[in-house]
Amino acid sequence: MSGNKANRKAFKALFYSFAGFLFLYSLYLFLSNLDQLFVTEAAVKTREITDVWGDDREIMNQFAGGFWKDPYFWKSLNLTVVTTLITTLIASIVGIPTAYALSRFRIKAKSIVEILFSSLIVMPGSVIGICLIIMFNYGPLWDLQNALGFRFAHSLFPGMVIASLVLSFALGLSAWKAAFDSVNPRFEQVARSLGSSRWRAFRTVTFPLAKSGIIAGIILAWTRAMAEFSAVLFFCGTFMELPSSRFSEFTKFIQMDQADWVSVAVWAQVEFGNIEYGFALAFVLVLIGGISVYIMHRIGAKGYIW
Amino acid sequence: MKLAVTTRGRWWPALCGTITVSILASYLLLIASNWIYLGWSDTVYFFSKTRMWERFWLTVWTSTVSTFFSLLIGIPAGYALSRFRFPLRHFVASVIDLPIVVSPAVVGAFLFGITTRFPFDWISEHYGLYIGRNVYGVLLVQFTVTAAFCARLMKASFDMIPVRFESVSRSLGASPLRTFFKVVLPMAKNGIIASMIVVWARAAAEWEGLMLFVGATEGKTDIMPFAIYLDWNSGMMGWVTSMSIVCILMAVSAISAMRIIGGKSNVW
Repeated sequence: MSGNKANRKAFKALFYSFAGFLFLYSLYLFLSNLDQLFVTEAAVKTREITDVWGDDREIMNQFAGGFWKDPYFWKSLNLTVVTTLITTLIASIVGIPTAYALSRFRIKAKSIVEILFSSLIVMPGSVIGICLIIMFNYGPLWDLQNALGFRFAHSLFPGMVIASLVLSFALGLSAWKAAFDSVNPRFEQVARSLGSSRWRAFRTVTFPLAKSGIIAGIILAWTRAMAEFSAVLFFCGTFMELPSSRFSEFTKFIQMDQADWVSVAVWAQVEFGNIEYGFALAFVLVLIGGISVYIMHRIGAKGYIW
Repeated sequence: MKLAVTTRGRWWPALCGTITVSILASYLLLIASNWIYLGWSDTVYFFSKTRMWERFWLTVWTSTVSTFFSLLIGIPAGYALSRFRFPLRHFVASVIDLPIVVSPAVVGAFLFGITTRFPFDWISEHYGLYIGRNVYGVLLVQFTVTAAFCARLMKASFDMIPVRFESVSRSLGASPLRTFFKVVLPMAKNGIIASMIVVWARAAAEWEGLMLFVGATEGKTDIMPFAIYLDWNSGMMGWVTSMSIVCILMAVSAISAMRIIGGKSNVW
C-alpha cells in the first residue's frame, strides 16, 4: 500500500513538473524583464552623443523613459482603450445575434462557416492585415471611398476599429456560440409553446441562462482587441510622427492626436532604441491581459483562445 | 383546434439571420480579396517560383519542430491542469496563459530581454548555440507561444474524458503511469491529434514575436507570415498576396483536418 502511495506521489510530481516548467518559464519571461525599465548608462550616453531627443532628453533618461510625464503614453493608452471599447461594443451587438443564429438555426453548410471562423484564429495577423489593405484600398471599396471623400485605412476612427474588430469578433463569436450551445433549446421551446414570442423567449429564457458565457465572451473580445498588433500595424500604421496639423480639432480635444495603438507603440519605441519606454508600455499590456485572463478563469468561460 | 404559436417577435430570428449572412459575406470577401486582386495567371506564376516554396518549407519544418517540443511539455502540463487540484489554481493557469493573451509583439520584446540572461547566455557560452537572430530564435518564439496554447488545448481534451475510467483502472490495481498510458492517452487520442494540428497551425502563424526578437534574414529566418511583412515593405504586392494565399490555405486546411478528425478544440 505504501509503495502504491509513493507511486502516486512520483506520478503527481512528474506531471506537476511539466506544468511547473511552463509556469516558471512564463513568470521568468515576464518578471525578469523588470530591470529593462531602468535606463542604462549606455543609453544615457548614446542620447547625449546623438542629441536626438533635444528637450525631451531629460525625460527619456529617467526611470522607464519617464513614461508618466510623456503625453504620448497617456494619449496612446486613451486611444487604445477607447477604440477597443468601441470595438467590443460593435462586436457584441453584431456577434451575439450571430452566435445565436449559428447555435440555434439550421443553416446549410454550417461546417464551412465554423471552419471559416476557426481558421481566422490560426491565421497569421499579417495575412489579416494584408487582406484588409487589399479589400479597402483596391477595387470597388476604394472607388466608394474616393466618391465619399474619406479613407478607412490609416485613420483613427474607422480604421483602428475595423482592424481590431476582425479577430476580436471571431474570438467573441466562439465564446458566445459555446454559451448558447450550453443552454438546452428545450427551455425556449417550452416558453414558445406557452405563448411567448421568439424575441421574448430569447430575452427572458435563453439570455439569462447564457449570461456568464456572454460576459466571458465580451471580456475575451476586449482582451483580443487589446492584444491586436499586426492588423493595426498593416492597416493603420503609426501616428506618432505625423504633424499636428493632420489631426482634427475633435481628435485633439479627446486627446488622441499623435498617439499610437499600444502594442504598435511597444514595437515603435523598441525600434527607436527607447527600450525602457517600450517595456513600460509592454508591462501595461501584460497587466491588462493577466487580469482579464484571470477573470475568465474565475468565471470558467468556454470558447477559443488564439 | 389549431394550436396557435404566436407570430409576434418574428423580427428577432429575421434580424439574426440577416446579420449572420452579412457578416459571413464580409468575412468571405476579406479572405477572398487576395485571389480577386491577384488573378489566376499571376497566382500560377508566383506558385511556380522556388523562393515561395523555400519559405514554405522553412515555415513547415520550424513549426513542426516547435510543435513537437510543445507537445512534449503541453500534454503532461495539460493533464496536470485538468486533473489536479491545488491552491492558486486560477492564478497558475493565468500565468501559463499569459504568452497567448498578451500581444505577441510584447512576447517578442520580452524574449528579446531574456536571451541575454541566465540559461541563454550560459547555453551560448558552453555549447556555442546562439539563440537570437537565427533559426533557433524562430523556434524559441514559436515554442513560447505554442507551449502555452498546447497546454490549454490539452487541458480541454482531458476535461472531456470522465475521471471514472481512471478510478476504475486504478481500483483494479494499475499504477497511475500505466493508467495514463493505457487508459487516458488512448481515450484522448482524437482530441490530442486535433489539438496537435491546431497547435501546428498556430506555430506557423506566429510572426509578431519574430519582428521584435529575431528579425528576418532572407532564406534563413523569413517564415511565411514574416516574409509577407518584408515583401510588403519592399512593395512586392505579387509576392505578398500569393504568400498570404498560401497562409490562408494552410490555416483553412489545418482547421478542416481538425474537424474531420472530430476535435472540438474548445479551449476553456
